Amino acid sequence: MTSTKRTIMNERNIQSVSVKQVIFLVLFKILVYAFLILMAVIVIFPFYWMVISSLKTLAEYRLSIPTFWPKQIMLSNYADAFTTASLGRLFLNTAYVGIVSTLLSLVITVLSAFAFARLEFKGKDAMFGALLATMMIPGELFTITNYATINTFGWMHTFKVLIFPFLVSVFYIYLLRQNFMQIPNELYLAAKVDGTSDLKYLWKVMIPMSLPTLISITILKMMGAWNSYVWPNLVANDDAHRMITNGLRNAFTDATGDVNFPVQMAAVAIVSAPLFLVFIFLRKYIMSGVSRSGIKG
Amino acid sequence: MKKRIAAILLTLTMLLGMVAMTGCGQTAKVNFVVPEGGYDGSAVTIYFDHTMGSNLRDVLDLYIKEFNKLYPNITVVHEQVGNYDDVRDNIAVELTVGNQPDIAYCYPDHVALYNISGRVITLDALIDSTVEVTRADGTTEILGLTDAQKADFIEGYYNEGKQFGDGLMYTLPLSKSTEVLYYNKTFFEANNLSVPNTWDELEALCKKIKEIDPNSIPLGYDSESNWFITMCEQQGSAYTSATGEHFLFDNEENRAFVKRFREWYKLGYITTQEILGSYTSELFKTADGTRSYMSIGSSAGATHQRPTKGADGKYPFDVGIATIPQVSADNKKVISQGPSICLFQSENPQETVAAWLFMKFLTTNVEFQAEFSMASGYVPVLKSVKDNAVYADFISKADGGDYISALSAKVCLDQESAYYTSPAFMGSSDARSAVGLLMQTCLVDPGTDVDAILDKAFKEAITTCREGN
Amino acid sequence: MVDSKQQWKAWLYLLPAIVLLLVFTVWPIINTVRMAFMEGYNGLAIVGGATFKFGIGNFAKVISFTSFKTSLYNTMLLCVLTVPISTFLALLIAVALNSIRPLQKTLQTIFFLPYVTNSIAIGMVFAAMFNIVGNMGTDGHDIIITAGIINNCIEFFGGEPINWINAGSSYWANITVMVVYIVWNALPFKILVLLGGLQSVNKQYYDAAKVDGTPRARVFTRITVPLLSPMLAYVIITGFIGGFKEYSSIVGIFGEDMGPAGAPRRLNTIVGYIYDALPKMNYGQASAAALILFAIIFVVTMINLQVSKKRVHY
Repeated sequence: MTSTKRTIMNERNIQSVSVKQVIFLVLFKILVYAFLILMAVIVIFPFYWMVISSLKTLAEYRLSIPTFWPKQIMLSNYADAFTTASLGRLFLNTAYVGIVSTLLSLVITVLSAFAFARLEFKGKDAMFGALLATMMIPGELFTITNYATINTFGWMHTFKVLIFPFLVSVFYIYLLRQNFMQIPNELYLAAKVDGTSDLKYLWKVMIPMSLPTLISITILKMMGAWNSYVWPNLVANDDAHRMITNGLRNAFTDATGDVNFPVQMAAVAIVSAPLFLVFIFLRKYIMSGVSRSGIKG
Repeated sequence: MKKRIAAILLTLTMLLGMVAMTGCGQTAKVNFVVPEGGYDGSAVTIYFDHTMGSNLRDVLDLYIKEFNKLYPNITVVHEQVGNYDDVRDNIAVELTVGNQPDIAYCYPDHVALYNISGRVITLDALIDSTVEVTRADGTTEILGLTDAQKADFIEGYYNEGKQFGDGLMYTLPLSKSTEVLYYNKTFFEANNLSVPNTWDELEALCKKIKEIDPNSIPLGYDSESNWFITMCEQQGSAYTSATGEHFLFDNEENRAFVKRFREWYKLGYITTQEILGSYTSELFKTADGTRSYMSIGSSAGATHQRPTKGADGKYPFDVGIATIPQVSADNKKVISQGPSICLFQSENPQETVAAWLFMKFLTTNVEFQAEFSMASGYVPVLKSVKDNAVYADFISKADGGDYISALSAKVCLDQESAYYTSPAFMGSSDARSAVGLLMQTCLVDPGTDVDAILDKAFKEAITTCREGN
Repeated sequence: MVDSKQQWKAWLYLLPAIVLLLVFTVWPIINTVRMAFMEGYNGLAIVGGATFKFGIGNFAKVISFTSFKTSLYNTMLLCVLTVPISTFLALLIAVALNSIRPLQKTLQTIFFLPYVTNSIAIGMVFAAMFNIVGNMGTDGHDIIITAGIINNCIEFFGGEPINWINAGSSYWANITVMVVYIVWNALPFKILVLLGGLQSVNKQYYDAAKVDGTPRARVFTRITVPLLSPMLAYVIITGFIGGFKEYSSIVGIFGEDMGPAGAPRRLNTIVGYIYDALPKMNYGQASAAALILFAIIFVVTMINLQVSKKRVHY
């Protein structure tokens, strides 16, 4: 008798605890969501502000009590931005540099990664180790000499200077080599027996099998060209070769003061748009590439 | 083993010893000797880097044709290389690899930088040369400058070429600008205000304007650096020196005027380009809200000081132009700016002589100077240009509206004796930006201990200059 | 077995990479060291036929310069402030994201957004948000047209507007803006890595903790953090390396002047200092500064690795 009573009491106890727990859990979940949503709002706010500011008239932008949705949508700001910063030319320059350097970089990366992953040669490990060691050194250290070197080559203010100096990325070679290594060697040996040439094997088997990595590399390289600022600013900041980021910064030199902010924000939005499009469609490649690199661009 | 290490060490020491021969790049000696016979008529191509916009390039092309009538074998290739800083950066780079142009636009501090390489040609031998050169039309000229040509240069401009501390001539002036005071003539007339001649008058005037329009900032001064340097010149206080201790601007006289301007700033009398965040002409041109009624800026920027025409096709107000205020009427000083040109060494001395002939042509040809000035808004460097019929006609049209450039040029012609130039040396541009910066800092600093603020800003400016970075 | 044909082919495939690396990576390393130890080495002076003494003069000079000290201080300060803040925030967000199901993917995407931006471009947006338009800077005659959205928010909550980035702004206001921007910019990468780490953590640990009734805070410090420690070490190390190379985020907000109007170079960083020296051809000092930067990064990374060796649980 007593024992059954105790059991019942125990059950009741457990129930009451779990009710408490549930309440606590719900509250906790609400808190977690509130925190996440607050952070998300903070993260996304600059983008929202950029877009709505870019659609306002200058007068509305300057209202002392801000509006959170433009009263009158000024698409003409975008046209103004396009002409003020001559974005058309900048787009073309950047696209040219981006495409050429990405293509060349892919070829170089694939060939090198193949050599390291599949071919046997003297000094392979030492060579690979040396390459990895260069990754430790900050790129800024190269800039000084490269600046002098390209002067000697007479490359100042050319597209070459934007394409070649940073064409080889040891990191991409490393990434692709790891990928190539995962492809069973038997396939390669079988192909050799069949008399398939290296390049054909590379093209027919290895490249298709490591496509995701190659796509990641392509996107990161293109984004790199799109976002590059420092090096182009030093060596090719002339009208014929200016890159988009430099053009944007140059067109609106004053960061503060009496600038036509809506037009400036429109220009920023135009420059940011392609990045977002790429992000929306190719998110998983970017995220997988990024999490392994830790470097922007 | 030990022996080997010792041997290696010894070799290393010797190698280092060989490298250790000290040397300083600055060579202050005449570095060009005129070849016997001057220009021999051989075919040469000379390269000219500048910053001219398309309308000026058209004028230049026109006169290159004229020049080629005299010297058909000299081909002039010219190129616009962005702005002045771009020209400097480009040429500095080109000098390191030896593909510099023959002639280039320059500012004195650019030349001071180039001089580290010792590749800027000293013009003295060329200027003094009496070698006769035969031209294609059969006439002759002496290679150098005649006394009349020398005397025709506005003195302040000409002297800029020998500001480098060694007494040698490195540049010739091409076209110049200065600072002038733009004022809202309509407003001045409506309120019965008179144009200030001195800074004291200006102060009183600002006070009056603030009473009329409390929301206004009566004066906008575009260049803080110019303001500081001009004040030094007007007061006769030290700024910089090309020799010995370079940076002399930290002195009581200079602190005094900065302190005074700070008070003006706090009273809302003045603003500057950096503080405002845009050219002060923007403030001057606006028709509503906070505005200014005076603006001190480049004489070459007159059209930027003119308000936009209203719907009725009229300017909302008339612009008046006057010389800038002075400390005293006995020592009138106003800055001289704008491009000069310099020559660079080349392997072929004939190329250099040809480049000199072209340089001389541009700087001493009255028609070119007149036309170039009208197209650019800059003022000519030759006194005789004002007697040129076309230029005189241009000046006679001067008004505060459509012909504002002419008005500005006219004001400049009246002050040709007041131009000064500052010493040029490696670091003179650092001094220039440092004083501009110290002006800004001192004006805007919210602190209350004025002397401490000034002391800190002046000392920092001197440090920045000495570090040269 | 290494056959000679493969040898030959391998080097052929590697040729383009090797040539480019030799010219643009290996030579610069050698040359930077060389130039750093040639006193007063200047690209223009060489043309003038000058020779340079071998020595540590460049280093001595650079270290004695206030401009360099300012740059070093700014760089360190930004590192010390932004790395812990962004790591901590990222950790909280990652853990929170990991604990929810609905909306997880959406929120994850939003948190990654700042990554795919151009730091110059978005810097300009931040500058606009913090900017005061119309402050002509005259004391007592401030004519503020817009105080900027951030100041509007401050005013909404009853605060006084702050001069963040305009002429006359204080150093700490500038630093605050930079910290906000850099943290905002650094979050996505850190969240991505940490969340990836969390998702690969074995569920069993948590289940065990649940059975034991361990409090959440304890679960966080005793299970989550130790299990995440390799990823944490990774984001902290890359955070410091990136932090020491801070440059373009400052250009984004303040422009090439690296400071507000009236105080250019106030926020200059080591990388900015190096770039400033280039157009003047001051290669010797620039190289010395670059080597100092490398040494700092190297030492900090080594310290980080040492600490993580002791603390990281693999």
